[in-house]
Formats: sequence, structure tokens, C-alpha cells
Amino acid sequence: MTKSLTRNLTSQELEQFGAEIDALRARTVADLGERDARYIRNIFKTVRWTELAGRALLMIGAFLPTPWMIGFWIAGALSLGLSKILDNMELGHNVIHGQFDWMGDPKFQGKSFEWDIVGTSENWRKTHNFRHHTYTNIHGLDDDIGYGLLRLFPEQKWSPLALFQPIVAVLFALLFQWGVAVQNLPKGGYFGKHGKAARKEVKLAARKVSHQLIKDYLIFPLLAGPGFLVVLSGNLVANMLRNIWTYTIIFCGHFTTEVETFHRNVLKNETRAHWYWRQIRGSSNLAGGFVLNTLSGNLSHQIEHHLFPDVPANRYVEMAPVVRDICRRYGVHYNTGSLTKQFGQVIWRILRHSFPSRPSRARVASLQS
Amino acid sequence: MTTAFASPPASATQPAPSLLRRWAQPFVDPAVFDYWASHINPLWTWERPLARVLEREEAAAGAVTLTLQPNRHWKGFTPGQHLHIGAEIQGRRVTRSYSLSDIPRADGRIAITVQKVDGGLLSTHLCTQTQVGDLLELAPAFGDLVLPKALSGRYLLLAAGSGITPLMSLTRALAAQNMPLPLTLIYWVKTAAQACFVAELKTLAQRFANFKFQLIATQEGGQRINTDLLAPSVEAGAQDLHAFACGPGGFAATARELLGEQAKSFKAEAFTPAVPLNTDSKHQVKVELRRSGRTLEVASGMPLLAALEAQGVRPQSGCRMGICHSCVCTKHEGLAEDINTGERSSEPESAIRICVSRACTDISLDL
Repeated sequence: MTKSLTRNLTSQELEQFGAEIDALRARTVADLGERDARYIRNIFKTVRWTELAGRALLMIGAFLPTPWMIGFWIAGALSLGLSKILDNMELGHNVIHGQFDWMGDPKFQGKSFEWDIVGTSENWRKTHNFRHHTYTNIHGLDDDIGYGLLRLFPEQKWSPLALFQPIVAVLFALLFQWGVAVQNLPKGGYFGKHGKAARKEVKLAARKVSHQLIKDYLIFPLLAGPGFLVVLSGNLVANMLRNIWTYTIIFCGHFTTEVETFHRNVLKNETRAHWYWRQIRGSSNLAGGFVLNTLSGNLSHQIEHHLFPDVPANRYVEMAPVVRDICRRYGVHYNTGSLTKQFGQVIWRILRHSFPSRPSRARVASLQS
Repeated sequence: MTTAFASPPASATQPAPSLLRRWAQPFVDPAVFDYWASHINPLWTWERPLARVLEREEAAAGAVTLTLQPNRHWKGFTPGQHLHIGAEIQGRRVTRSYSLSDIPRADGRIAITVQKVDGGLLSTHLCTQTQVGDLLELAPAFGDLVLPKALSGRYLLLAAGSGITPLMSLTRALAAQNMPLPLTLIYWVKTAAQACFVAELKTLAQRFANFKFQLIATQEGGQRINTDLLAPSVEAGAQDLHAFACGPGGFAATARELLGEQAKSFKAEAFTPAVPLNTDSKHQVKVELRRSGRTLEVASGMPLLAALEAQGVRPQSGCRMGICHSCVCTKHEGLAEDINTGERSSEPESAIRICVSRACTDISLDL
């Protein structure tokens, strides 16, 4: 990319722009109620029934003759994978953001919700809710830029190891839940003055990991008795399907061609309006319908999610046209496209920046704003 | 002073969980268990106290008595105590405190009598929407408006409006013991049609010579609480008089004024929020909500809960008058003042009730 597609705003324009975003938020929050409560409960129910169906199909399939077993195994793994995708994205990610805290229902409280993934929600709140959402796309502060593994932007330092990143990226996709789980766990410093907190954090993470492993790879396979391996392999595939899907959606959110990254100096006296402005410039949407919205946990509306991370995600689809109109009027590029187009751009980034690259002069200039 | 009470204190220590339960605990997500169990019996939960509405009965004009069947996770109560009842209204859980009006029963059922309050979210819901078969959330019973273990002397109960409910429970508890000591109940209402339990109280007064019952309707010529009305009880000997009062804040304050010094013991519970005394404190303070990573500006004179709610933050809350401790949260730093008592706390990492606390300085909360 050579030049920002977003024009610079005067500080007065920027404040007006921010006020319009604020007003949209206020209108939406004032309208929250029964409809949203029903929505998240229906998601919860869908997670439960698809999980039950998936586990039952795998279990029953283990005792059927081979051709039937394969059919049941495929259907079971898909259903369980779907359950985990919905649990992680539309239910877990959104609830942990506190989007449904206003309900006062202990089941949907952001501070106590736990999800079906190896990472703890506690660690996620720090890396994701705080760091990623506050410092979105700021080099050195937002660890989601390449997750410390991948070089996706020319501003990141190149090393010969980056040449292997196409392979690393594939492995990372298959093991995505593990990458997220260890992200921001204290690396070292277990013995010093602050060692106690670090040790505790690792202990909690290890406990969550062991629960997840025991559940999917011991208890449920054991329940199938001689069908142990059928269930175990089905669970493994379900977890991998979830990993690949979440990886795809999340990478499309911030690593498409037109997204911008920032130098940490943008934080100096940053106003709320500028924060909004930065969120839009650093995020990209996926165009699609109900199915894509639901399966992506409404991260198909990554822009709206970044503007309003604690507004129930089922509202993004209604807020999007308003946001898009505001962006049009203020000359802010609204980055959206189909899943194939956006993910194609992500793949290109992974390939391109495995080789040395330099940010263009025009682009660097745009960051001074 | 350490004050770490995140919820109403549990009335009894919980029995140790069974071996099976302890083994299964790490692998059970209560929400998932509750979802599947509710298909068999809506009251079956892993740990959440719930109750089903069994009966619904008009108690008076604008008041209903709900008989509830709690599940096994609700651990009982002592007459005079209250509990939190929660129901979902337009997607939001609304919790308020209600006194239990009955005495503990063999079948475990409990009863609350709810007076419809103008603009009261939950009371209106319970009086007009709640049907037999509905589920309500419960919390452990709490409160110390209870009779001592060893009874002695004479008792005077002063009720105003829906303040009758805990005192009705006490009256029934004493009636169940055949009224072992002299008891007087004075019950103020606006109009006689609004009075609950009147037939039962009159029957009890006929049955027990020890029990005197007086109903006063203030909008129908009756007097508000005053020295004359209390004189018979006081003159019979204040030195062994135990007085209980329950009603609006002004009523409880007057009762305390008239009896607090003279009676051997005096207990009161009030249910209208106290008005902030220090309303002149108009300056703005910063409230850091450390857990959600936000900082808001509020007027120092406003109770923190109301100030936060006005900005769209919804911390847990219950009675909104400082007695139920639902909204207790840890104050990391800053100077907070109890609006009711004027007591100031600069102790770091101390628990405050945000519904009756204002921030005198910038403050940081575990929210």
C-alpha cells in the first residue's frame, strides 16, 4: 500500500465525527432489552444442542459398521466443531467483552464466563479486551500484530526466520487455540520479586489446559469404551476445525491490504474521537449474510466491533450502515470485502513480508497525523 | 477493620459438598448443567438457589402474597429476615429485598407479600406479571430483625406500610409458641383497604389475651406515630420493653426518637433510601473502574452507584439503601464517605457499598 485511503480531518471535523459515533452508541445502548437477551440465550442453546449432537454422533458411530461409522464420524466432528466455533466466537468472545453484563444474569457475566478453549478467559481479558482493543494495531503494544510469530507489516523487523513463515502460518492456524492460550503468559520472571503472580497465572493456565485435554481426549473417548479412538479423533478434528476457522476470521479483521498500523506516538493526548478513527483504519469487515455473521461471532463486523466492543454483537449488523454512512461523509475508508477477497489479501501479506520489505514514504507520512 | 462481605452473609455455614460433587466440580460448568437439568425439572440446578411460584393471592389492595417453593440450594431463614428476589424484566435481572412473611414450614415453602410501589420495577412485575409456575432467583436470607433465642420482657412491634412483613413473621413465630410473652403490634397504613393480614391478626388477638393488635389508617383519620400512641406500652414499663420498627426511613427515625432511649432494646429497618446529606459537594471526581479499564467523571455529591448508572455502568445492586450489601465492592484507593452516617473511609483495599457511598476524592474501584 502506498497511501492512506483515509483523508486527514481537522481536529474539529474529528470531534464531530466522534460525536456521531458516540450518538450511535448511545441510541443502541438505550434500546438494549429482551430481544438481545433472547438472542444470546438462543446462541447458548445452539451451542449446547450442537455439542450434544456432535458427541452423540461420534459415540454412536463408533459402534456402527465401517461405512456408517465414517458418515457418523464426519457429521459428529462437524457438529462438535460448529459447537466450539459458536461457543468461542458468538458466545464466549462476546460475553467476555461484557456485552451482556447489563442483563445481570450470572451465566452471561463477562468477569466470570469461561469457554471451551484451552486459553483462560482471564488471560484473554488482558491480552484481548485490554491490550488489543485499546492499542489496536500499534506496533509494540498490540501483540496481535503477528502474534510474535509472523511478519505481516513492513514496519516489523525482518529476519531470515521470516522466510519460513508461510509454513509457520499454517502450523499456527492448526494450533491457533494454543497460540492464543500462551499469548502474554509471563515468559520467565517466575522467581523474582513478582514471581508469585507469574507462577499463579501459569498455574491457572495449566489447570485450564489439563481440564480441556482430559475432557476431549480422555473422558469422552473412555465413555465410548472400545470406540475410544473414534471419539478421540473426532474431537481432535473438531478442535482443529475451530482453530482454522477462528484463525481465518481473526486474520481477516486486521491483516488485509488496506488496514493501517500505527506508531505508538499516536497515543499522545489521543482523544476518544481519534481512538474511533484509529479503530476504523485498523480493521476490516467481511461482507456476508446471517450465516457468516453468526459463525464469525459477528467479527464480520470487525469495524463495528472495534468501535463498540461492549455492545451486543447482534446489534452490529444494524449499526453497520450508519457507521458506513458516517465514514463516507468524513472520508474515512471503510474496509470491507468477501471472505475470499479479504483472506486472499491476508495470504499475500504472509507471503510478501516473509521477504524483506520497507514501508513507503507516503505511508509513513500518513502516520504522523 | 476488615470488611469483606461480597454478598449478604450466608445464614449458616454451608455443609461440605459430597465426594461425588467435589470430584465432578472441575468438569461441570454450572450453566451447562442447569440448562440440561432444567429439561427434567426447572428447579434442578448445580448450585443456584431458585424458587417456583406455587400460589398467588391478593393480600390487600395493590399487594399480593406469593408462595414459593425454593430448590435445595436455598438454606432457610429465621423469622424477621429478608432475602433477595430476582426476576428478569425486559432482559435485565432486577433484584430487590423482600421480607419473608411466614414462619419456616415443614414443606420448605416460603411466602413473600409484595406491595406494588409506584414506579417500582420489581414490585410492579411481581404484583401484575408474575404467574403461578414462574421461576424467581433467590439469595440466602439475611438480616438481624429477629427474636433472641431466650425470650423475656414484653415486645412492641411497629409497622408502617409494607414494613408489616417481617413483623408479621415475628408475630406468627410467637403465636406458634402460644404467645409466651406480652406482644403489641401497631400497624399504620394509608387506607384500611391497603392493610394485609388483618383477618389473621384479629383472630390471633382474640385467641391470645397476651396479644394486642391496633390498625391505624392515617388517611382515614388515624394519627401518625407519636408519643400518645406509644404511651400505653411505655407506661407499662419501658425497662423490659423490646421494640422493633419497620417502615419508611422517616417512620423508623421517628420510632427511634420516641423509643430508642427508653426501651430496653430497639431495632429498626427502613426501606426508603436516605437523602444525601452533603448535596453541596458539586465538584467532579474521577472514578476509575479498574477491572473494566474505564475512568468516569462524576459529581462528588452523588452516591457512586447512581452516578455510575447515570453513565450506563450497571454494577450489581440490591436494596440501594445500604443494608443488603449486594453492591459491595473493593475500593482500591481514595476517600469515600458513607452518605447515611457521614463516616469517612480512606482505608485502601476496603469494601464499600457503592449505593450509599460518595467519592470525596478521586477513587478507584474493583468494578
